Amino acid sequence: MKGETRKLVKKFFHNPLNAISLCVLGLFVIVALFPGLVAPYDPLKMDGEYFMSSPVGAHWFGTDQFGRDILSRIVFGVQNSMMIAVLAVLLAAALGTFLGVIAGYFGKIVDGVIMRVVDAMFAFPALILALFIIALFGASVPNLVVAIGIVYTPIFARTMRGSTISVKQNLYVVSAKALGKSHLGVIFREILPNISSILIVTFTTNFSTALLSEASLGFLGLGVPPPTPTLGGLVGEGSRFLLAAPWIALFPGGIIALIVLSINIIGDGLRDTLDPRTGK
Amino acid sequence: MKLSFILGRLLSAIPTLLILTFLVFIALHLVPGDVVDIMLGTQNFLSEEQVQQLYSRLGLDKPLMVQYGLWLKNFFTFNLGTSLRTGEPVAKMIVEKFPVTFELALFSIVFSMLLGVPLGIFSAVKRNSKPDYVIRVLGLVGLSAPAFWIGAIFIVLVSGAFVNFTLFGFVPLFKNPGVNLQVMLFPSITLGMMVAAQIMRMSRNSMLDVLSQEYVRVARAKGLPAKKVILKHALRNALVPVVTTAGIQLGYLMGGTIVIENMFALPGMGRLLLQAVNQRDYPVVQGVVAFIGVLIVLLNILVDILYSLIDPRIELG
Repeated sequence: MKGETRKLVKKFFHNPLNAISLCVLGLFVIVALFPGLVAPYDPLKMDGEYFMSSPVGAHWFGTDQFGRDILSRIVFGVQNSMMIAVLAVLLAAALGTFLGVIAGYFGKIVDGVIMRVVDAMFAFPALILALFIIALFGASVPNLVVAIGIVYTPIFARTMRGSTISVKQNLYVVSAKALGKSHLGVIFREILPNISSILIVTFTTNFSTALLSEASLGFLGLGVPPPTPTLGGLVGEGSRFLLAAPWIALFPGGIIALIVLSINIIGDGLRDTLDPRTGK
Repeated sequence: MKLSFILGRLLSAIPTLLILTFLVFIALHLVPGDVVDIMLGTQNFLSEEQVQQLYSRLGLDKPLMVQYGLWLKNFFTFNLGTSLRTGEPVAKMIVEKFPVTFELALFSIVFSMLLGVPLGIFSAVKRNSKPDYVIRVLGLVGLSAPAFWIGAIFIVLVSGAFVNFTLFGFVPLFKNPGVNLQVMLFPSITLGMMVAAQIMRMSRNSMLDVLSQEYVRVARAKGLPAKKVILKHALRNALVPVVTTAGIQLGYLMGGTIVIENMFALPGMGRLLLQAVNQRDYPVVQGVVAFIGVLIVLLNILVDILYSLIDPRIELG
């Protein structure tokens, strides 16, 4: 098993793009964990000498309409946006895996009921469903986590159901059942370990889209209320001054693109590494 | 056989539609406080009796399932209630705004196909060459860049470089096609960028799959020129999954229109929805969300049916 893991790691790092992306993402994770160490200023502090200043030595990414340092606001924005997206996808993964495994394992009516609800939720565009939930319950960090989490649950439920059904037919699962193991035992011992690699890939790809959803909500003014910075919120605020001070919106937008890009490359790399069909 | 497939597909949508509309209906009941509280907001000048009348006029004194039945009947007869702000019927507002959104979504999907399919095919045929790597990286960038960021870049660049280009100020297509197409150009490209990237990746994968199939190798072995093999034998089969991807992306497009319409000041459904959300105009929010959900279910059925017509191998079940 250990040699196997080492082979997979080697395969993943064989592509230099994967290694670079992992470094970039790692950098942003550090920024998200310790924003105070990275940010040159307090994200809320207004610098009276610089209002809507273009990038200069004292403010690398310029300042906004209140003279706040854009770079510092981006750094804390990375923390807030990443935290919301991670928690939301964790919630979606937990809820979706639970529903999907139950549906796939028990089949019949349980499957029918769960999957019809999942289908119905799937019909809503992610952004519209999230916006609907936020519209009803208001914008706050927990509400955003729940809203985005609910939106991404159907994706996990579908994927995990499919994987459960295919794993269920394997001989070791059939024999475990025949030996009289309890349903819970079979699910935890036989099914879950065998669908975990697909779970990891699904988590990665949806983490990037969840970040985009959070950013879009923020851009529309339905994210965490100001003055707390989030990446999408920064672009939304800045887009009002797009022609006079394009840096306010363009820098945070570029950071979102960079984070999402690195996650997408890692996601592709993980899929190629873990999917035996593409292995050579 | 075809007819039974279409019928079966339509029937299978009924539970989905029922659950979907129920979710939208019930969501308003889950809000802290109730609908009447929300409608009245903080400016409650009504007497206790008037509030009671409001409850019974809205049917809120009936059992939940009866309320849902009534709401559903109204919904499918396109009676979506009236806006709390303007008093206008929600259905009328949707009918007015829908063509803008439809035009935007249609242009975006056309743009993304025109860009994504040729690039994907080219990338697959030239597999592991330099152009292939460039296209693949561009595809990943397209998937990752948020639409509002791409839109912002377009606005900055276009307004700086082409002063005479009309970026804002929507006019209906039939009133002034020239201005309409100018105004719609960059919103459509912005919205279509991510879908183009998806379609590019899908076309590439699907083409690679097809190129490794037996019949393509046989055609090549027969001595047919490579170009003919690709265009005649491979392309048609490779496009089948691409059509499905485009269909699936309709959902993303409908969501994306909210961002794009607000960014480029287009008076479509997305803008209507965001305004309604900001003004807590719940009948409008509920009507638009339910309308979009039902629309997407129906569009997906249409895509499935088209798919079955293109690909003779697909049968019911």
